[in-house]
Amino acid sequence: MLAGGCLATGVVVGPRLARTWIGLTVTAAVAALGAAAVVLAGGTDWEWRSGFAVAGEPLHARLDAMSAIFLALVAVVGGASAVYSRGYWSDEGYPDSAPRGRRWLSAMVLAMVWVLLASNGLHFLIGWELFTVSAYFLVTLDRGERDARAAGWLYLAASHLGTLCLFAFFGLLAARTGSWELGPMRENTALAPLFWLALAGFAVKGGVFPAHVWLPSAHANAPSHVSALMSGVAIKMGIYGLVRFSGWLPVPAAAPWVVIGLGAVSAVLGIAFALVQNDLKRLLAYCSVENVGIILVGLGAAMLAATHGDGPWGRLALAGALLHVWNHGLAKSLLFFGAGSVLHATGTREITRLGGLWRAMPRTAGLFALGAVAICGLPPLNGFVGEWLVYLGLFDGATAGGRPAWGVAPAAIALATAGALALATFVKASAVVFLGAPRTKLAMDAHESGPWLWGPMLALAGLCATIGLAPFFFWPLVARAAGAWRPSAMAVEPLAPVATLGLANVVLALFFVGAAAWLWRRVHAEGPRPAPTWDCGYAAPTPRMQYTGGSFGGIAATWFSWALQIERTVHRPRGPFPVSASRVERVPESVLEWVVAPVAGLVMRASAAVRRLQHGRLQFYIVYLVAGLAGLGLLVLLEGNP
Amino acid sequence: MIAVVDFVLRLALWLVLAPLLPGLITKVKAWVAGRRGPPVLQLYYDLARLWRKSVVLSTLASPGFVAGPAVAWVAVLGAALLMPLGPAGGALSFKGDVLLLIYLLAVARFCTAWAALETGSAFEGMGAAREVSYAVLAEAALITAVLSLSVQTGSVTLATMLVPAAGAGAVLLAAGLFTVLLAENCRVPFDDPTTHLELTMIHEAMVLDHSGPPFAVILHGASLKLLLFALLLCQAVLPLGGLTPPVAAAVLAAGVLVVTVGVGLVESLLARLAFRRVPLLLTTAFLFCLFALLLAWRGGAV
Repeated sequence: MLAGGCLATGVVVGPRLARTWIGLTVTAAVAALGAAAVVLAGGTDWEWRSGFAVAGEPLHARLDAMSAIFLALVAVVGGASAVYSRGYWSDEGYPDSAPRGRRWLSAMVLAMVWVLLASNGLHFLIGWELFTVSAYFLVTLDRGERDARAAGWLYLAASHLGTLCLFAFFGLLAARTGSWELGPMRENTALAPLFWLALAGFAVKGGVFPAHVWLPSAHANAPSHVSALMSGVAIKMGIYGLVRFSGWLPVPAAAPWVVIGLGAVSAVLGIAFALVQNDLKRLLAYCSVENVGIILVGLGAAMLAATHGDGPWGRLALAGALLHVWNHGLAKSLLFFGAGSVLHATGTREITRLGGLWRAMPRTAGLFALGAVAICGLPPLNGFVGEWLVYLGLFDGATAGGRPAWGVAPAAIALATAGALALATFVKASAVVFLGAPRTKLAMDAHESGPWLWGPMLALAGLCATIGLAPFFFWPLVARAAGAWRPSAMAVEPLAPVATLGLANVVLALFFVGAAAWLWRRVHAEGPRPAPTWDCGYAAPTPRMQYTGGSFGGIAATWFSWALQIERTVHRPRGPFPVSASRVERVPESVLEWVVAPVAGLVMRASAAVRRLQHGRLQFYIVYLVAGLAGLGLLVLLEGNP
Repeated sequence: MIAVVDFVLRLALWLVLAPLLPGLITKVKAWVAGRRGPPVLQLYYDLARLWRKSVVLSTLASPGFVAGPAVAWVAVLGAALLMPLGPAGGALSFKGDVLLLIYLLAVARFCTAWAALETGSAFEGMGAAREVSYAVLAEAALITAVLSLSVQTGSVTLATMLVPAAGAGAVLLAAGLFTVLLAENCRVPFDDPTTHLELTMIHEAMVLDHSGPPFAVILHGASLKLLLFALLLCQAVLPLGGLTPPVAAAVLAAGVLVVTVGVGLVESLLARLAFRRVPLLLTTAFLFCLFALLLAWRGGAV
């Protein structure tokens, strides 16, 4: 049980020596994973109190099934990122920033573990702030990059807006309960309105749709192992906060509807934005918005069920959402590692400049494809199991009827739409990058990445496959965590035939491989005749004539043009011998550019107006002081008289 | 033992009967046009011929070019085996099997689109882009239809969902599902399976570079999918649960025949839609299914 402690020492010690550091981080990750597994499998919570006070409050750590789910994810992805960083951000390549990166990576993982274990509001906030700040230093690891600095700044500003809400939340909570201690307090209904503050604060961290503005640029411009950690794990801390405090605190009556609505909107619009991105890592970042939406739909369904007769379907959806936390964390980290390898090999993230990479990087291509299948929620991999559980919960909720059905049925339709869009997005992402002919010289000169890069990818891919093929090992764990959400007698385990699904997945996987091998042998039995791609008789095809990512997503993009607002600059060819023609498309960050930027502009203008008061002339300052004192005196007089 | 025999029989039924449907459609079209048309068994001959041929492989294609059609075929076959055959039920039935079925069709789509993009051809890219984009609307309509059946029967298992009649929403559901069938199987008015102009095709454009055995697998998979959707439509609408097994089987077979002839008639009487109009028609299908869902709700609430 003291494995958590081992993690702490392990993470702190090693920013100096790269090898020792990796060893320590992996040991710590294994220890934390062990602790999480023991709690999840054994079912008894781990609690640790110490007389030692930090910031005036005694330390109190608690690891229950709910935090263990998230702890396991932190451990796995944290360990994988540490190993990956060895090849990706090595001391040889980045002598200046690599040691710094190791230190902040350790700090970030440690802070996340701290947040998960903290059972005291003040300590939670301290850990949260530490986690936010260390992530900022990781995003801006490459200080020379202008984009990275801008992304880091945006991230820091947005996160602190969220943290502000959390300060208010924890402060008011402590003021109303009289203690910083956290725990179930559902009977105190006066606390219900505080949930809105928690929702705002955690939604910013989680990248829920309108509050996602910081997410794409931060995830895209960070080094890839950091992107994996942020997209796979860090945004899940926002989810953790929401799940945790929707379980511990009473929630307002409207909250379930808001959560499930936000989830559905995030899912559909997140993936619509992902579909039109041309930057591979930005595409993956937007897809995280979608997956957070799926998780929130599950959570919202659970909250709806809890407020409407506590039907077991809510727990089913919540268990699915928690499994999706794992699934998305694993698959998304795998994809970011894959994108990192591509960036490492070619030096570009622009999908339109890549192509045909499978020949140079077969391992990366295969693993990326597996990650794409997993994240699209296709059987027989893990993504499907999680989404299937969420769907089952939603369907059961719809058949149960009553008012919740009006929330869960549209959510199910939104999930299906998002699922089909995700398929389009990932066919585009993997096919345009890895298949066809290389579009530029960069793509032609690509090389396969080393074992430090593909090793962690292989491990994550193995986990994706394991959860997909043997879901019955993982189902009791998430079911227990869903039970720990709000203590209830309801058991969800008999509700989902997970073993049958696992069996179907195994059979499918075997037949997929078998049929592919069989057809492969049949094709190669007679020696296939190689030929150029059929091009309708055209004599001189060039790689630039291939379908690009933009044209691939073009059809669906027009349906979402109201949200995407793609800006096009077209120079048509003129005359019989056109010299130049071009078409440039830019996908703006709609919410950032049209909502946040004008508001921020107003704030800046207001601040500028206020600044005029501060001009450095002493006489006027004395006038301010006298006026202020006079005002105060007047106030006291008025207060005192009646 | 009985389970094994049942499984083998079922597999044989699907594999052998499926290629009959495209042949029937072609025959109906020929009759309407006053021609004699190719034999009903033409697709069987084509498959046998393709299977014996050798393959022309694009120099750009990766192993996924061959693996894609194989995996897609297995996925469609897996979905088919989940589909209950009237009184005989499905090969495997469990709660939530309908979702597995829908997602297996998505796997098939992923693999077909993947294999299409292997060759770096603009035509195939065009076809794949259309396929995955229209599938967004088709999938929304399909899940709404399933949701309405689910609300109607209070179950998420195909075997029990498809037994009773679809109730008041049957007509709406039939219209919606028939439209989805036409879209998902790339029939007129969404796509024309007989055209030879690449720019106007969806499914055929995706498989331009496939030849020999992989192409045979693709064609067979397409016929499986058509039969699958025809069965889904018939069982969703017809009240098979009240009939004795032989009668139910006969009614089901007749239903599939009617749907097939219906597809043939639609292809003879309608022209292909302009691509701009396709989303409109699919949205209409979605709305049909949505109204069926609302009707199912009213039925349950009153």
